[in-house]
Parts: sequence; C-alpha cells; structure tokens
Amino acid sequence: MKLSRDGWGGLAALAASLFLYAATLGLKDNPLVPIGPGYYPRIVLGISAILALAVLIADLLKARKPRAAPSEKQKLNYAMVAAMFAAFGLYCGALPFVGFRIATFVYLAATNAMLDPPASTKGYLRVLAVALVTTVVVYLAFERYLDVLLPRGRWTDY
Amino acid sequence: MPGHLELLGAGIAGMFHLKYMVPLVIGSLIGVVGGALPGITITMTVIVVLPFTFGLEPLQGLAAMIGVYVGGETGGLITSCLLGIPGKPSAVATTFDGFPMSKKGEPGRALWLGIWASILGGLLGAIVLVAATGPLAELALAFGPWEYFSLFILALSMVAGLVESSLAKGLLSGAIGCIVTILGNDPVMGQPRLTLGIAWLEGGVPFLPVLIGVFAFAQIMTDVERMGLAKTSDTIDAGVKLAVSHLNVLWDILSRPFLLLWSTFIGLVIGVLPAIGGSAANMLASDQAKKFSSRPEKFGTGIPEGIIASESSNNANVAGSLVTIMAFGIPGDAVTAVMLGALTIHGIQSGPLFISQNAALAYGMFAAYILAHPLVLIMLALGVRWVLRIVIVPKSILYPVVLVLCVVGAYALGNSMPTVYVLLASGLGGYAMVKLGFPLAPFILGVILGDQIEINLVRSIMTDSDPWLFVTRPISGVLLAASVVSIVAAIWQHRRMQRKAAAAADEPDTDF
Repeated sequence: MKLSRDGWGGLAALAASLFLYAATLGLKDNPLVPIGPGYYPRIVLGISAILALAVLIADLLKARKPRAAPSEKQKLNYAMVAAMFAAFGLYCGALPFVGFRIATFVYLAATNAMLDPPASTKGYLRVLAVALVTTVVVYLAFERYLDVLLPRGRWTDY
Repeated sequence: MPGHLELLGAGIAGMFHLKYMVPLVIGSLIGVVGGALPGITITMTVIVVLPFTFGLEPLQGLAAMIGVYVGGETGGLITSCLLGIPGKPSAVATTFDGFPMSKKGEPGRALWLGIWASILGGLLGAIVLVAATGPLAELALAFGPWEYFSLFILALSMVAGLVESSLAKGLLSGAIGCIVTILGNDPVMGQPRLTLGIAWLEGGVPFLPVLIGVFAFAQIMTDVERMGLAKTSDTIDAGVKLAVSHLNVLWDILSRPFLLLWSTFIGLVIGVLPAIGGSAANMLASDQAKKFSSRPEKFGTGIPEGIIASESSNNANVAGSLVTIMAFGIPGDAVTAVMLGALTIHGIQSGPLFISQNAALAYGMFAAYILAHPLVLIMLALGVRWVLRIVIVPKSILYPVVLVLCVVGAYALGNSMPTVYVLLASGLGGYAMVKLGFPLAPFILGVILGDQIEINLVRSIMTDSDPWLFVTRPISGVLLAASVVSIVAAIWQHRRMQRKAAAAADEPDTDF
C-alpha cells in the first residue's frame, strides 16, 4: 500500500511521538509534588500519537485518485530549495568560525547569484555591491546603534 | 487612579514624543512597503523589524511593530489594486474588485477607496480595542488555573477546527507545537526531561526562533520553488493617474454605512479568534458583502463594495488581534505572536494583568494603533508613487537579506549560536510541514500556549486533585464544552464539504 504525503506525515509524527513517549518512561517522579515531570508530556505525546495514527489510517483508507501525468503537474524547483537550505546551513555553521561580516557577505553574494545568476560583469558587480552594502549596514546598525554584539570568528577573530 | 480616557489621552500625548514617534513612523513606513511587496507578508516584515527593537524600550519596539502591522495591512492593497497581485494574503479579496476598477480606468479611485476604507475600518476597530480590552481583561482576572487551561484548549481546538483539509491534521499540528514545549526542564521542579543529551535544551526551546524559522522559511522556500518558472509582469505604468476627489471617495464609503460597519465587525471578530488573521477576514467580509448586496452579480467587475468590505475588515482585524493578546495573552495571529515574543524579551507578561500592571505601556499601544492610521494615510498621500517604485525590488535580493535578519534576530535573543540552530531546524521543520500539508497556525499556537497549558494543568491539580473541577467549574465547563462544539462543528462542516464534492463529481459533465 502506498502512502500519500498525509500518510508519511502521520507516520513520521507517530514515530516521533512514540520515541519521545518511551523516553518519558525513564523520568522519575518527585515525592514532593503530586505529579511528576513526565505527567503532561505523556498526555501530549499520547494525544499526538493517537492523532498521528488517525491521519495515517485515514490516508490508508482514502480512495486513491490516479496520479496526474508529469506534464500536468506543475514542476517546482526543489533543487533550488535544497541549495538554499544548504547555503543557509553552511552560513549558520560558518558564523562562529569566520564571523558575521565575512560569513554574511559570502552568504548574501552566493545566494543572490544562485537565485538570479548574473549574466555580465555588471551583474557580478551588482551582486557584490548588494552583499557588501547589506553586510555593512546590518553590522553597523546592530553593533553601533542597537548594542547587539554579532558573532566574531574563532578562526579570523573578525 | 486615572480614568480610562485620561490614560488614553496621556498615551496619545506621550506617543508624540520623538522617541516613540520615530519608531512608529519608521515602522509604519516599513509596513507599507513590506505590505505592498508581493511575496513579503506582514509577518515576515515584523520578523525583520523584530531584532531592531531589542535595544529599544518596550513601548518604542511595540510602537514600531504596531506601525508595521497597520502599515502592512494598508500597503497590501496597492499592488492588489494596481497590479492585480495581492501584496499580502489579507488583500486577496481586494484584488477581485480593485484590479478590475483600475483596468476600467479608475486606478486612483480603486486605490483610495481601499486606503480610506482601511483607515476608517481601523479607527472603528480602535474604539472596540480601547473599550473592550479592559473589561475582557477584568473578566479574565476571575479565571483560575482550570479556566485558563480550558481557555487555551478552546483556542487550540478552534484553530485546528478551522483547517479545511483535515481536522486530525489540524489537531496533530497543535499537538506537535505542544511537544516543542515539553523539551527541557519541567516548569514545576526544574527537573530535566527529554533533552536528548543536549545541554542547552535544558532551558527549553525558545519560541521566538521557532516562530521566525517556521514562518520565514515556509514563505520564502515555497516562493523559491517557483522562482524563474513563471514570468509575471510586476511593472506599473509610471504615468498611471492616481489623483481623485477624496470627498467623492469618502462619500462612496460613508454612503454604505452598513457595509463598512459589518465588514469592520467581521474583521474584529476574526481578529479576536486566535491565530486566524486577516487572510480569513477579508475573504469572509467580501463574501458577506456579496450576500447582502442588491447587485451580487456585479462583484468582481470593479465595484466599490468589494474593496470597502475587504479593506475595512483587514484593518479592523488588527484591533481584534490586539484585544486578544492584551486581554488574554493569546495571539490573534502570527504578527501578534511575534509581539508576544517581544514582550517576553522585555520581561513583560501579557494576559489579564497586563493592563493593570503596565497601564502606560497598554495605553501607549492603543495610542500607537490609533496614530498609525493617520500616519499611514499621510505617507500614502505623499509617497504612493515611491512605494510603487520600491515594490519592484527583486526577490533574489530580498530573500537572502530577510534570512540574514532572521539570523541576527535569533542570535540577538541570547547572544548565542544555539538559538540560530533552533531557527535553522525550525525552518526545515516549517517547510516540511507545509509540504506535508500540515497547517502552521495550530502548530505556532501550540508552541506559544504549550507551556501555559502545562503550568495551569499542574497548578490546578496541585490545588485540588479532583479532575472533575475542569467540567464542574462554570466558566471552565463552558469553555471545554465550546471546545467540543468547535470540534464537532468542524467535523460536520468537513463531512458536508466532502458530500458536496462527491455530489459535484457525480454530476454528468454537460460542458461539451
């Protein structure tokens, strides 16, 4: 039996609920209070497991419509989404090592170029200018005027 | 103790101080631009503004956010009327009549009908906001933990019940939101639980990075999926004539007092209901206007009624959302959820005690809401053409900048990287939820209310272990009964829709 997105969502939620529910069984009750730290989590996880099971069963019982031919379906650019997430993950990972200014400049230039690839030298200059101006403005606004200390790089000390 | 009107007067007078007026003006301007930019929602705009408010006084920050909210609701109609592209979901219904009116050669009338209806709807909403928040908060003061628990359950069940696709998915989404709040130390004895061996999780998952991540990524990534696939003409004729007789436009609106009042009422009610927002208000008000109209067949052809209904309701919706957050501490929508976060950062607890304990702040918020309307009106009168130029900024530039500001906002919460990682994880989770068809509103409400549900449940049981008190205490019992009714009504409505869909599918196709 094939699952639709509802079924997969229900299955994932069921697995997560059961895993966390099992983890609550190891929590020790405190004799000073009538209910322990696992009381409420067990209620929430129990309810979410039941609801996830309901979503899963409803999906299994649902009559399947024939799949639309590939030409009828709107093609979405998932590769770009994956690239954007990867770039953002790398940016977050790089922040503590190279610092806000370098990481942000590189991230902005890279993602801007990814979303709208420059076709000429002028395009490249625009990408670099936007990245530079945004980085400087954000850095100055937060560090100088709003007293927010942005991450410094462990490797660059910048 | 000063009276209600004296406090409001003091609030308005105080708002004229430069230190409050500047954030309000800047917030309103950013809101107008953010609202007008197709693909940038008001939630995203307020998320972008949020980190800039951390270093400000609470009222300065809230004035900026209220400015964004009011400006965004009004600014969204610009592209709806002139381009046929809604600047935000709560301006979708404005497009139905605003754009046809523009195409008929009356772009100025379409635009200003929307702007004036927004302003009037918003100011009518202000009367309710000021008059109702205090009494509702006083009513909530009589609540014990049983009533709060039941109120939060009602809020969650109502939001989940409004999900059209599946009630179970709506409820599950709310439950997943509550699961986020059980990670970390338990709120009674501080005992670590479900930390999965991660030390910083002991403090729990901060809800603001979750909220920012979920909303920003869900919006941006679903747009990125479509980038470069379809070309749209986002250009506005620079010579478009926007000059109108404002008296005629005002007469267009005021000669339809029932339409204005009913649409404002709908906006207020939708705003008061938790986590629904203006996107539902404008559609419902437009639908109601059509049902009550003597010429329903003309809707969608460029008549004033459609624009007035949509725009007055979405601005009144802001007032309704503020009532709920100030009286009960429950966000009326995603924007007020961010405001709730901003209050929390400054150590201010929203809820029934908010007005009595923070009168200056509360009346300052009322004043900011009231003054934001004429400010937005002046801004649009002076610079609507500039706004039209700004809305063509490419998303390839905007989206990375928005994501950087999300990172700054998350980082600034605790000056540490873990909150940024929460943002990243929430972004992935939010996008996955959208792709799996899980609604985000119940999830966010679960994240916000989960802690409070637990605290009130524990308090009530520690006070008296009899579980029947949740049902036998009158207010609590009524609230729980209302939760059950909302779920039953949602099931009934869902079945009715399924039957209708099945009946429509069975009808022979007569279109040869």
